[in-house]
Amino acid sequence: MIQVENLTKRYGQHTAIDSLNFTVESGEVLGFLGPNGAGKSTTMNILTGYISTTEGRALVNGVDILEEPETVKKMIGYLPEFPPLYGDMTVNEYLDFVCDIKGLSKSEKKQSQEKIMDLVRIGDVQKRLIRNLSKGYKQRVGLAQALVGNPKVLILDEPTVGLDPKQIIEIRNLISNLGKDHTIILSSHILSEVSEVCERVIIINKGKIVASDTPENLSKGLDDGSKMIVRVAGPEKQALKVIKEIHGVKLAELQGSKEKGTVDIIVESVPEIDIRKPLFYAMSKASYPILMLKSMGLTLEDIFLQVTNQETEVR
Amino acid sequence: MLSVIKKELRTYFTSMTGYIFLASFLFFTGLFFTLLNLGGASPNYNNVLSNIQFIFLLAVPMLTMRLLAEEAKQKTDQLLLTSPLPLKDMVIGKYLAAVAVFFGALAITFVYPIIMSTLGDISWGEIIGSYIGFFLFGCALIAVGLFISSVTENQVVAAVATFTTLLLLWLLDAIIQGLPIDRTSGVLFAAVIAIGLAILIYFTTKNIYVAAGTGLVGLVAIAIGYIIKASFYDGLMPRVFQWFSLYSRYNDFELGVLSLSPVIYYITFSCAFVFLTIQMLEKKRWS
Repeated sequence: MIQVENLTKRYGQHTAIDSLNFTVESGEVLGFLGPNGAGKSTTMNILTGYISTTEGRALVNGVDILEEPETVKKMIGYLPEFPPLYGDMTVNEYLDFVCDIKGLSKSEKKQSQEKIMDLVRIGDVQKRLIRNLSKGYKQRVGLAQALVGNPKVLILDEPTVGLDPKQIIEIRNLISNLGKDHTIILSSHILSEVSEVCERVIIINKGKIVASDTPENLSKGLDDGSKMIVRVAGPEKQALKVIKEIHGVKLAELQGSKEKGTVDIIVESVPEIDIRKPLFYAMSKASYPILMLKSMGLTLEDIFLQVTNQETEVR
Repeated sequence: MLSVIKKELRTYFTSMTGYIFLASFLFFTGLFFTLLNLGGASPNYNNVLSNIQFIFLLAVPMLTMRLLAEEAKQKTDQLLLTSPLPLKDMVIGKYLAAVAVFFGALAITFVYPIIMSTLGDISWGEIIGSYIGFFLFGCALIAVGLFISSVTENQVVAAVATFTTLLLLWLLDAIIQGLPIDRTSGVLFAAVIAIGLAILIYFTTKNIYVAAGTGLVGLVAIAIGYIIKASFYDGLMPRVFQWFSLYSRYNDFELGVLSLSPVIYYITFSCAFVFLTIQMLEKKRWS
C-alpha cells in the first residue's frame, strides 16, 4: 500500500531524514517509534504531501505523491501532531468544512459526518466551539477530520499525546478497530502503546531506521540469554552460593535487599537451559523460600534505549 | 474553492475583523460624503472616492493580515495542504473572500450617489467608472497584503509590513519626483538591480557560480545596452519606480474616465501578486 524508497529530506545543512526505505502492506498497522526530533513527523509530512522530499520518493497505492498529489491525498487521512483545528468554528461547522475541501457530495456529507461523530464519540459536543473543548475532545475532533472521506490510509502523528489514561485507552481501542479495514501508520514515543496496537514497529533515530520488526521479535532478538530476578528469604552469601552451584547458571549477582530478611539476586542462565525448576528445588532444599521470581525479558523501553544508544555510539 | 471562500467569510464575521473593517470603511466614506457632497453642496462624488484612498492603508492590512499567517501559525495549513484541494484554489479562495468583503463594503457606499440622485442630476457614467477603478485599485492592494501574509507566521508582522508597503506605494509618486534622472545614476541603478538579483539567487540556491554568473551576465548586458543606446539610461530609475505607482494609475478614474490601460494594469498587478503568493507557499514546501 505504501512504499517509501530512499526518502531523504534536508533543511540546509541539517539532514532530517536520511534515505528511509520501508513498505507498509495493505491493512497493516505500523508503529513509528523514535525519540523527539528523530524525523517521525517529517516522514509523515512527506507521505501526506505537506512538504516535499529532497531525494527519493513515496508511493501510495503505486502512485507517487509528488506526481499526482491530489489522487494520493484523497487516499490519506492525516492527523498531524497538532490537530489542525479552527477554534472559531463549532465541531459541526468544522467537519462540514473538511467534507467540503475533501470534495464530498452533499448526500455523502451528512451520512459520513454522523457515522464519524459516532465512531470517535464527539456527538455530544458537536454544537460547541472547538476552542472551548478539552484537549481530549480536540484530539478526537482531529481524528474525526482524518476519517472524513473514508480514506484507505490513516497517518496518525502521536494520536494519544496529552490525553489522560482513560482517553488513551479509548483512542487506542478506536485505532485497533480502525486497523481492521484501514492501513495505519502511527507514530509515538510511548512504547507500550505501539506494542499494543501495532503489528510491526519501525524504530527510527536521527533520520535513520535502526530496527524494524514485530514487537515480539524485537524483544526476542535483543534478549541476551534469559535473565531473571529472584527474591529469597535467607542470608545473602549462602543463598548466592547455593544458586551459583545450580547447573546452567551463568551468572548470579546480589541486587541488595528490598524487604527485611530477604535478598534479591539476578540470575542469568545459559540460553538453552530452563533453570526455574532446579532453582526452586535447590532453594527449597536449603530452606530459603522463593518469594518472587520474575523474568527480565527486555521491554520495548529497553529495546528502544538500546537501539537508539547503539546508534549514538556508532556515530 | 467555494468552501474556502465560505470559511474565510465566516471567519471575518465571527471575529471582530469584518465588523471593524466595515465600520471604519463606512465611517470614513460617510464622513467624506457628508463633508464634501452634502456640506459643500457639490455633485462631484468622484472627489469623495479619490479623497478616501488613504483608507486602504488601514483597511487592507486589516483584511489580509490573518489570511495565510494565521493558518501557518495554528498549523491549520496542514489540513488545507494535505487535503485534495489544490494549493492555487486555496490561495485564490482566500483572495476572493477578502475581495468579497471589500466589495460588500463598497456596495453599501453606493447608497450615497443614490441619495444624491434624488437631490439633482448626477453623472452615473462617471460614478460607475470611478467605482470600477476604486474597486480594482483595492483588489490590487489586497493582493499585495495577501502576499505579505504568506511570508510571515505572525499577523502583527504581516499587518505592519503591509501598512508600510502601502504607505511607500502611496508616497511613491512624491519619491519619484526627487529621484535623479541623469544617465550615470541610471546605469548605477541598473547595476545595483543586477547585483541585488545575484545576491538573491545566492541566498535561495546557495550556489555561488550560478549567482556570480547571473550578476556578470546582467552587468555585461548593461554595458552592451549602454553602447547600443545610451539614452535608455536617462531617467531609468524614475521610470522603473513608475511601474509600481498604483496611485497615479487612479488619476483617470478620478476624472471620471474609464480607460482600459489602468484597468488592465490593476488586474495584472493583482494576478501577479496572487501568483507570487502561490509560489511563496510552494517554495516553503520545497525548502
